[in-house]
Amino acid sequence: MLEIKNLHVKIAEDDTEILKGIDLVLPKGEVHAIMGPNGSGKSTLAYVLAGKDDYEVTDGSITWNGEDITAMAPDERAVAGVFLAFQYPIEIPGVATMTFLRTSLNAVRKARGQEELSTPDFMRLVKEKAADLKISSDKLKRPLNVGFSGGEKKRQEVLQMSLLEPTLCVLDETDSGLDIDALKIVAEGVNALRSPDRATLVITHYQRLLNYIVPDKVHVLSGGRVVRTGGKELALELEETGYAEFGEEAA
Amino acid sequence: MTAERLKTKAEQGYAAQFSELESRSSSQDWVQRLREDAMSEFNAIGLPHRRVEEWKYTDLRARIGEVYGPAGDAAALSGEKLATLLGPLGDIDAVRLVLVNGVLDEALSDLAALSGSCEILPLHKAVDDAPDWVRGMLTTVNPPRPADATVALNQAFLANGVALRTRMAAPGRLEKPIMIVHVTGGESERPTSAMTRNLLAIGDGVEATVVEAHVQLGTMPSQVNAVTETMLGERASLQHIKAQTEGAETTHLSTWMTRLGAQASYRAFQFSTGGALSRNQIFVAFAGEGASSHLNGAVMARGGQHNDTTMVVDHAVPGCESREFYKLVLDDAARGIVQCKVNVHRDAQKSDGHQAAHAMLLSEAAEFDSKPELEIFADDVVCGHGSTSGQVDEEFLFYLRSRGIPEPQARALLISAFTGEAIAKVDDEAVRGAFQTMAEAWLADEGA
Ligand SMILES: Nc1ncnc2c1ncn2[C@@H]1O[C@H](COP(=O)(O)OP(=O)(O)O)[C@@H](O)[C@H]1O
Ligand SMILES: [Mg+2]
Repeated sequence: MLEIKNLHVKIAEDDTEILKGIDLVLPKGEVHAIMGPNGSGKSTLAYVLAGKDDYEVTDGSITWNGEDITAMAPDERAVAGVFLAFQYPIEIPGVATMTFLRTSLNAVRKARGQEELSTPDFMRLVKEKAADLKISSDKLKRPLNVGFSGGEKKRQEVLQMSLLEPTLCVLDETDSGLDIDALKIVAEGVNALRSPDRATLVITHYQRLLNYIVPDKVHVLSGGRVVRTGGKELALELEETGYAEFGEEAA
Repeated sequence: MTAERLKTKAEQGYAAQFSELESRSSSQDWVQRLREDAMSEFNAIGLPHRRVEEWKYTDLRARIGEVYGPAGDAAALSGEKLATLLGPLGDIDAVRLVLVNGVLDEALSDLAALSGSCEILPLHKAVDDAPDWVRGMLTTVNPPRPADATVALNQAFLANGVALRTRMAAPGRLEKPIMIVHVTGGESERPTSAMTRNLLAIGDGVEATVVEAHVQLGTMPSQVNAVTETMLGERASLQHIKAQTEGAETTHLSTWMTRLGAQASYRAFQFSTGGALSRNQIFVAFAGEGASSHLNGAVMARGGQHNDTTMVVDHAVPGCESREFYKLVLDDAARGIVQCKVNVHRDAQKSDGHQAAHAMLLSEAAEFDSKPELEIFADDVVCGHGSTSGQVDEEFLFYLRSRGIPEPQARALLISAFTGEAIAKVDDEAVRGAFQTMAEAWLADEGA
């Protein structure tokens, strides 16, 4: 279970507070959506869960499986099962995709006390998962994300997620920049990971993705606070009314 | 020179060594004259210091306190020992020429393997026999102007090294890379010096790869002064590669002087991790139209290492292309320098030149200096330069760590990706692989 209590977060290098007391409970086996206007703090929350040190937790706590993770390094969190699919996956020139995937997977396996995968086993696994996500093999031969389209990058994120088998998945606007076919493929990838042992937080600006990844609950974030929580119908309601009442003009 | 300059201790040391050598020397007159002229030249200019523009970042007068004695006859080197010294470079399938303190070790060299395709002479024999091609090349291929003190010194002590000339008809290709191994130092307890001069003559239409590997025997400091003069015939193509991994107390002064015939292609790569003080000079002159020169390199330095790469490319004729691309990783208080001067002469229209040098600084105290210089006297040319210096990218680091890769490993991956972009420019696959392995070993050696 993910438990966020009275979470206050500011930007580390100045004193701008972005998250102003977030409370949220996400039990294992459930999928929760976080919606909200641009600038409401959704990505900040995602980064803080992953342990980015641009942000500083000034108050409150984040516990995952009963353990406070706020002091853990990003790589330790990954080992503990936390995975963030980035809103803007970055391009890393010079780092071959396969080298990266292998280093990542084996680092996590080793730290979790599992055996590292042999080269053939690793290759087989990546090929299989990549095929599910319709990622062509020439994309895997390139430096990480370099020259990929927005949609291709998002698929790489889901590929990494399915390889690392996290137990807390945080997807930050994984739907943005995807056409409907890509959206379906990505949603299938996420749904395939649904399990009683796994908790998923889907951050999105639009309701569209939630047709494919049906959430158990929807939280609305505005001005750094959770201002409403409801069932999946709340997403539909927001689609109708927009975020006007939460401080953003309707699209 | 009108008045006699006051010589430094090191300059006096060179002068003393020179008179000793001269009393024993019995070379031909023309070589003797070369040496004497070079010594007079050195005496006139002295060791370069920071007010000499080309040497502003590397003050040899301040840094060379004393001159070590010549290594003399080195103890026999075993093949096993050589393999250890070479490390990953030893795995490259190459034909070897091994120079121990400049002296060609025939037992460790694969002279027979080259007998069909090349003429190879130890330098002392080359100057004694003085075949036309040696006389035509020695000291004339592309001498730096104004005169360079380290090249003058090398000339004054001209005796050791190797002269190589391909003798195949065009178009021809040397199947395997030739690896000239420069072993410096010895098992003795005294610091030593070695002066080496190599000649490479790559004939018209011949394609070759020459790797010069500089390694060190023993742990005593050495002073290395190595000069290679290279001449590429028309349409000749040479990959000229250097690996420099000598000990952390060694002074390494090196100069490559290259002249390219029409439509020749010169692809140089220098990978440098060794030496307390390293000055790697490359002088390239285009002598025929339509030739291209690519000078690439990677430098990894830490501790108090000082690594200076200085290049001068002379577009003397029209229609040539030059590229320089260097990547430096600097840790601790290491200092990296890349200077590159591109001269485009008045008639050298359609010249195309671009240079870039990028440094990654791993500590606050590390320093990078880049000095691009373009002197363009023609109007129809494309020339540019770029230089950056920065740290390991924090966003990249966070991304890798968020995927479970521990920080030291993530850093190493990013640094190796950074140098990897330069190393990718090495055409020969085996050499490229060896360099990548060496870069990773350097990174794994953190704090050693
Ligand atoms: N590292 C940062 N530096 C400065 N401002 C930031 C930083 N991260 C977030 N912010 C600001 O915090 C607010 C919330 O941003 P963000 O979490 O990205 O919102 P959302 O993802 O909901 O669009 C915005 O006003 C944004 O400009
Ligand atoms: Mg966002």
